[in-house]
Parts: sequence; C-alpha cells; structure tokens
Amino acid sequence: MRTRTPPGLQVLRTVVIADDESSMRLLVHATIESDDYRVVEAADGAEAWAMVQQHKPALVLLDVQMPERSGLEVLRLIKADPGLAATRVILLTAKAQETDIESGLIAGADFYLTKPFSPLDLLTRVEEALQL
Amino acid sequence: MALQRQERERRAKPTRRGWSLRNYMALFMVVLLGVAGIAAFAVRNMAEMDAEQTAVADANFAAQTAAVEITKDFVLLEQTTAELAANPQVAAILSAAGSCGLTFSGGTFSQGHLDIISPDGYVRCSSQPLPKGPVYGLSDWLPVAIHTQTTAAPFLDPVTGQISAVVASPVGAGLGAVAAIVTLAPLGPSLAASLGGARHLEFMVTTKDSKTVLTRSLASARWVGADLEETSFARSGGGVERQDVDGTARLYAHFAVASTGWIVFAGADKAAALTAADQLSNRSLAIIVGGVGVMLLITSVVFRRIAEPVRRLSLVMRGSTSGDAVKAVGSTGATEVTNLAWDFDRLMATVKHELADRLIKEQNALVSERNYRQLFESHPQPMWLYDVHTLCFLKVNDAAVERYGYSSEEFLAMTIKDIRPPQDVPKFLELTAAPQPHYDKTGPWRHLLKDGSTVEVLITSHTTTFDDHEARLVLAEDLSESQRLELELHQSQARAEANAELSKAKDEMVSMVSHEMRTPLASIVGFAELLFTRKVTPEQRGEYLGVMLQEGRRLTALINDFLDLRRIEGGHLKMRYAPADIKALIKRGVALIADPDGIPIQIRVPYNMPLVRIDGDSIFRVVANLLSNARKYSPDGGSIVVGAGVVADMVEVYVQDQGLGIPADALSQVFRRFFRVDNPDRHGIKGTGLGLAICKNIVEAHGGTIGVESDGLGKGARFHFTVPLAQEAAQVGDVLVVEDDSGFAHLLQAELTGLGLSSTWAADAETAERLMIKKRARAVVLDLLLPGLQGEAFLYRLRTKHGSGIPVVVVTLKDLDPAESLVLHKAGVTAILRKGPGMAETAARMIAKALAAELVAS
Repeated sequence: MRTRTPPGLQVLRTVVIADDESSMRLLVHATIESDDYRVVEAADGAEAWAMVQQHKPALVLLDVQMPERSGLEVLRLIKADPGLAATRVILLTAKAQETDIESGLIAGADFYLTKPFSPLDLLTRVEEALQL
Repeated sequence: MALQRQERERRAKPTRRGWSLRNYMALFMVVLLGVAGIAAFAVRNMAEMDAEQTAVADANFAAQTAAVEITKDFVLLEQTTAELAANPQVAAILSAAGSCGLTFSGGTFSQGHLDIISPDGYVRCSSQPLPKGPVYGLSDWLPVAIHTQTTAAPFLDPVTGQISAVVASPVGAGLGAVAAIVTLAPLGPSLAASLGGARHLEFMVTTKDSKTVLTRSLASARWVGADLEETSFARSGGGVERQDVDGTARLYAHFAVASTGWIVFAGADKAAALTAADQLSNRSLAIIVGGVGVMLLITSVVFRRIAEPVRRLSLVMRGSTSGDAVKAVGSTGATEVTNLAWDFDRLMATVKHELADRLIKEQNALVSERNYRQLFESHPQPMWLYDVHTLCFLKVNDAAVERYGYSSEEFLAMTIKDIRPPQDVPKFLELTAAPQPHYDKTGPWRHLLKDGSTVEVLITSHTTTFDDHEARLVLAEDLSESQRLELELHQSQARAEANAELSKAKDEMVSMVSHEMRTPLASIVGFAELLFTRKVTPEQRGEYLGVMLQEGRRLTALINDFLDLRRIEGGHLKMRYAPADIKALIKRGVALIADPDGIPIQIRVPYNMPLVRIDGDSIFRVVANLLSNARKYSPDGGSIVVGAGVVADMVEVYVQDQGLGIPADALSQVFRRFFRVDNPDRHGIKGTGLGLAICKNIVEAHGGTIGVESDGLGKGARFHFTVPLAQEAAQVGDVLVVEDDSGFAHLLQAELTGLGLSSTWAADAETAERLMIKKRARAVVLDLLLPGLQGEAFLYRLRTKHGSGIPVVVVTLKDLDPAESLVLHKAGVTAILRKGPGMAETAARMIAKALAAELVAS
C-alpha cells in the first residue's frame, strides 16, 4: 500500500485502487492523480476491504478478479454496510461477457470498465462518480 | 468294499499303541502299595534303633550322674569327719569321758552313723546309742585311721551287721578317730528313686574290680556281696544288653566313682523302650495306610470320572454305540470330558450339516450346469467361449457353427483373430490388450465367415472361467437394419457431444487467454494513451515506458507459451529423440538460470549416469522452466538442488527448492493451464500460468511422468519428472552427427542414409563424447557452436583419445578467421563447410569419400 498525501490541512476525500497487478495500479493511479483527493492502493480483495473500512473512501476502483476476495465480493460487502452508503464503486475487469457486466451492476456498482480501457474514459467516470 | 472291510476292522480292533488308562491305574495302585509297605518297614526299624540308642544314652547319663552324686557325698563326709576331728572337744572326749551328742547326715547314703572312736576300738561318742565294748577293735582300717584320713569299703559294720563303707579322720596323733560309717544297702533304691525316672532304670554299684556287688535297686537283697561273675548278668554276655537279676533284658551303661573307684551300672528296660518305639512306628504306619487309602480312593474316583467317560466317548466316536456323546458320557464325567463330548457332538452336527449342504449344492450345480449348457448349446444366436490369453476358441454353440460355416472342430483349432478381416485385426488386438470390463457390449464388428463374406455383429461378452481357463463368453448378434440405424444415431450423438465438449473447452480456453491477455494489454494501451495525451515528467515517461515494455514482453511470452502448448497438445511439435547426456543438459539449464550473486544451484548427478533418449530442446525447456520457477518462488534466496538418478527403467530428474512451497490443495492443480497459486506471499511474482502445463505435455510426450511434492506454504517444493533411458544400441553406426540444430541434423542423417551410411545424432558435444567412449564411430560431422562444450574442444579431445584416424567434417555457421581455420586444419579436419542450403548433402558426400579412401588405404 502506498499513500500519497499532498501538503496542507485540507480534509481530502479518499479513493481506493484495488488491483493485484501492480502495473494496473500504477496506470489507474497515474490516470486519476489529483490534488483533490488522496489515493490508497490495495493488492488483493482482503486488503481492499480493510482499506475501505479504514478510510471510508468516496470512491473504490475495484478489479473484479483478485486473490483472497474477488472484486464482486468486496462490492457486496460495501453495499451491505450502511456506513458506506456514500461510497461509489467503479469495477474494472478483463472479463467481457454480458453476464459479468450484469452481475456487476446488479451488485450495485456505479460504473463498469472493461480492460483494456481508455485512461481518459476512466478519468471521466471517476469524476462523474465523485460528483454523484 | 475293501474300504468298508477296513473300516469294520478298524472299528472292531482299535489299534493299541500302549496301555489303557485302566492298566495304568492298576499299575499305579500296586506301586503305591509297595512303596507304602517299604516305608512302613523302614519306619519301624528306624524307630527301634532309635529307641535302643536313646535308652542307652539315658542309662549312660544316669550312671554318670549317680557316680558324681556318690563322689560328692564322700567328699562331704570327709569334710565332716575332718572338721569334727579338728574340734578340741573331740580330743577332750577321747581323753576324759564326758557327755556328747552327734548327728549323722549322709546325703545319698540315707543310713549310717557318726562315731568318735578310741584306738582300742571303743566308741566314745556316737550319733546312735553307744555300743558296748571295743566294737571296732578288729577293724582293719582303725589302726590306719588314727593316724591318717582314710576311706575304706566294704566292711561288715559290727554295729549294724550291714555291708558298709567308712570315712575316718584322725584326732590328734594316735588319740583316736572320727568315723562316718554308711550302710550301702539303701544306696541302690535311693539312686533309682532319684534318677530312675520313666525308664525304670536299675542301678547297681560294684567294687572297683566290678566283682563284688555292693548295692542294687532291684531286689536289693539278692546278689549283694555276691561275685558278679557268678550271676546271669555276666553270663548274658558282653555289650550293652544283659539280663538283670530277674532275667529281664536290659540295656546297661556304667561309670566309675572318682573317690572310691566303685563302678555304677545303670540299666534301661529294653522291652519298655521297644514298646514306645513300636507305638511310634504304629502311628506312622497308620498315617501311611490312611494316606494310601485316600489316594486309592481319589484314583478310583478320577478313573471313574475320566477313563470310563473317555472310553464311552471313544465308543461313540468309533460308532459302536449311539451317536450322542453327551448322553454316552453321562453326568459322571469330569467337566473337561463333558466339554469334550459337547464339542464332539457339535463337530458331528456341523460335519453332518455341511455334508448335507454340499450334497444339495452339488446337485444344484449339476442342475444349473445342465441348464446353462442347454442354454448355450441351443441358443439361437452364435455363442462361444475363448481363452483371454491365447485367444483360442474353447467352445462354440450350434448357432455359431451354422452361421459361420466352420465345424466345431475347425473352430477349436482357430483363434478369434481368424474370424476377423485382416485389416481389423490391429484395432481388435489393441482393444483386447487393454483390460476389459467384466461385462461389455461393443460393436459393430465385422466378422469373416468361412465362405469369405463378412457380416456385421454386435458383441456382448463377459469374463468367466471355463475348465481353469480365464475365459470370455461371447454372444455375437447380427446387426439388423434398425439396429444399425440406431447405432449410427447413437454414434453421431456421441460425436456431437464430444464436439460440444471440445468446443466448450475451446471456448473456456479462449476466454481464459483473452482474460490473461487483457491485463498486459490494458497497461500497454493505457500508458500509451497517457503518454500521448498528457504532459508527463521525464521520470514518469521512463516509468510508463518501462511498464509498457515489461507488459509487452509478458504478452509475447504468453502468446509464445500458448502457441507452444497448442502445438504440443495437438501433436504438431515434432519431437526428435536422440541419446543425450542429462548431466550436460542440467548444467546448461543451471548456467542459464543461475544468479551470480545468489547461492549457487547444486547439481547432483551420479558419475556414471546412463544416457537418456529425449528431444534435447524440449527437455532443456522443462529443466530451465523448473529451475526458473525454483528461483522465482525462492524470493529469500534459499538453496536449490537439481539432480538426476535412475528410477526403475527411467531416469528421474528433480528440482528441489526451499522457497514459498505449494499448499496441499493446489498440488494437483499446478500443471493445469493458467493455474497459479493464489497466496499473498507471491503476488509480486509474474508468470503466464502456462510453463508447467507445457512441461507436463513435453514430459508426457516422452512417455514420462511429472509431479510435485511440497510440505506446504513456506516449506519449499520438489518437482520431478522422468524420461526414458537411451537404448544401448549395438553400435553408433558409421557416422556421429554432432549438431544442436535438430532440423539440420535430421537432414544430414537423411543424406547419409541415402549414401548407405548409418548414423547417430548427438545434440551436444558431451553426449557425443559419451557415445564415442562406448562405441567408436568411423567418422564425425561436427558443428562448432554447440550448447555446452564447444566443437573445437570436442575435436581436441577426440584427437587426444582416439587419434587422428577418424575423418571429421566441420559444418558451422560460425565466421572463422584464418587463425581459427588453421587450428582446425591442424587438428586434421577433412573439410570446413559453412552451413547453408545444400551443405548437408556436401558434408555427407565428403564423409562417404573419406571413408572410402580410408577403406582403400587399409
């Protein structure tokens, strides 16, 4: 886990990036890098859930296929927790089947991106989600 | 009949191998009585002897005691007289008459008197009334006694007229004497009273010479004063046993009195002693007789409770009496015998039951066998039995004879191969070679009839035994049109199912691959877009490009691995097998993988490892993959060991690490495509998930197996696979081709074969060396750029070991400078060819020419 906290005493919103591939974390991180929120990374599902509980983030970017706990499992946990009602979730997955998208959305994800995705597209989605 | 007679004889005259129990009992009783008799006799004798000895000992003790008593009393008397004689009053009495008073006390000597006597024999004073006149005037001892202490005996006391003894002491010098005179007669009875005891001892005291009897206890008047020689005592002979005065036999002992020398005899009554002994021995006898009686009683009871029931039991067993053993034995038998009878009855019942059972079964079997035979013989469809090992017909039914046209005898001379068209035989043999299910329905098969035509049949068969043959019973059913249609439908359905399964597997594969590819692709495309659309710092640019490159390579590796796997799985990858030195191969793998900064990888291969038969490139890939995995999954740099050894008829190669290990539930899955152990400790470790699947396919294509063991997470893992041993070919052939490019080697071998030369291919110089040691080739085609040992080094060693006689043609891609060429020519190479089109043929021709020239030269 790496945290990059900008200087100053503002109360920043947190974004959690959960992906077992370090290159993907780096890409997402580099894409959404902003002074408006701080970014926390998690390398597997269990760590992701721990980060979510700890930071009560505004947004979680979840890879679907992760060790320990899948992204869908973490999503379900988030949706079941009343304390996390304000947390938005964007799913990222390499799976491209219709059924997967459906199950992801049914579980309550706000957006859904299929790898490979455009970083600009991702950024748009993140901004949209944070404004919800 | 003979058997029955024997049986009767056996029952009538049971074999006697020894005595019956009854005889042993009788013998036992006789012996017991005899022993008891001897014991009683011995006891009696011993008791008598003991009684006599005891009696003599008692008599001896009594005689001694008596002698001591007498002596003591004499000493007392001496003291008394001496004291009295020293008294001045006594001298006064003797010189002037005066009144006096004396008292006598003689101990054992109950009768006697004390006198003060003047030298002329007058008594001046006495313990009894004074006698008148010089009564002792004539006594022999007086003249002596007035001067000195005197003891004298016997003498006839003039005062009492009794045989007596005297103890006298002188008073002054010749003034007179004090004398104690004791009567001897009461001494005997007195001794008997005080010492005689229960033994009724007789006491007798004689003079020193044991001639004159002084006193005695029995009938005291007789024998006293008599000469002992004249009595029955002396006449009854020497020894301890003599007759006493009454003629009674007594056992005598004697002892001398110290002061006077008298002899004291003590005699025990022999008859009384023996009576006591007899009583004792009679009691013993009574005990013995009682004991014997009890034993006889017990014996007879035991006999009745064992021997008799056993005899009756044996009668039952012999069948000469009723079959109920328990009843025959009755209630008198000992528990063991009754139990035995119970067991016997139970055994008999079981035997009878089983006999009946077997009889019924045999009858049933006969009936069912007949039924089956009928069923088999008259079944409307062809049936036969054949031996599963020899495939020979064992039995055929009538329908088979009719349908196939062969006679029953002809069938039995044939095997089931013979009723199949020749083109179907290989497929059929392959099927029968595999273990067949107990019951099976197969077909359709084409069967050949005797007239040469074929029919299509469905075969129903099951395993059975027939006349000790492991056999299969076959029912051949002609395929009807409807059956054929049904069968075709069934087959097409099966094909469709198989296709569906295959396509499903393919779909899964495609989905998996696309998923695996999407992640690296996402990085590449994503970072490319970032770089394209954003202003980034040079550091960021470097970082992004690094990720892109790394992910691009990963994608390439993934695609390569995947294609390889498809090729191998589809059997499209051509394996070219050749003998190979596994140690050299392992060394190359280690050289490729080894981390110069890490712990060196240990190689453990026995010195004389046999060659293996492998596709060198493929197996190298397996070894390199396993070694690379071992390194990858040992992030803390634990030691790695790679080794090989012969296991059964294969060579096992293993790679052992002490790294992250594999959890038990994942062990069976690691060789599956895209399977990766999912544990946080290895999240940073990249891989395509295809390496081990490729390894498995390569090893299995070699006819080997691959496996893995691990004690769990953090405990390391041991991967191992087997490859076949190289067959020890009779010889290498004419030419050894040392070439790592399998395609070119193949081409060369084909050219050599075309010229009539045999050849062996070695993919590296190490293998080539090993082959040369075993079987010399006549010529060598050598590549210089080899995976391990280089061609030049091999050439040098070849010349050192085998001389310059072997022609060597070098074919290489290497650009040789003149100096290098010179070295090679100096080493005696026939030619140096540059690898390229047509060079395989040229090389082969040059080898053939060199060998021909050599032949001419020799």
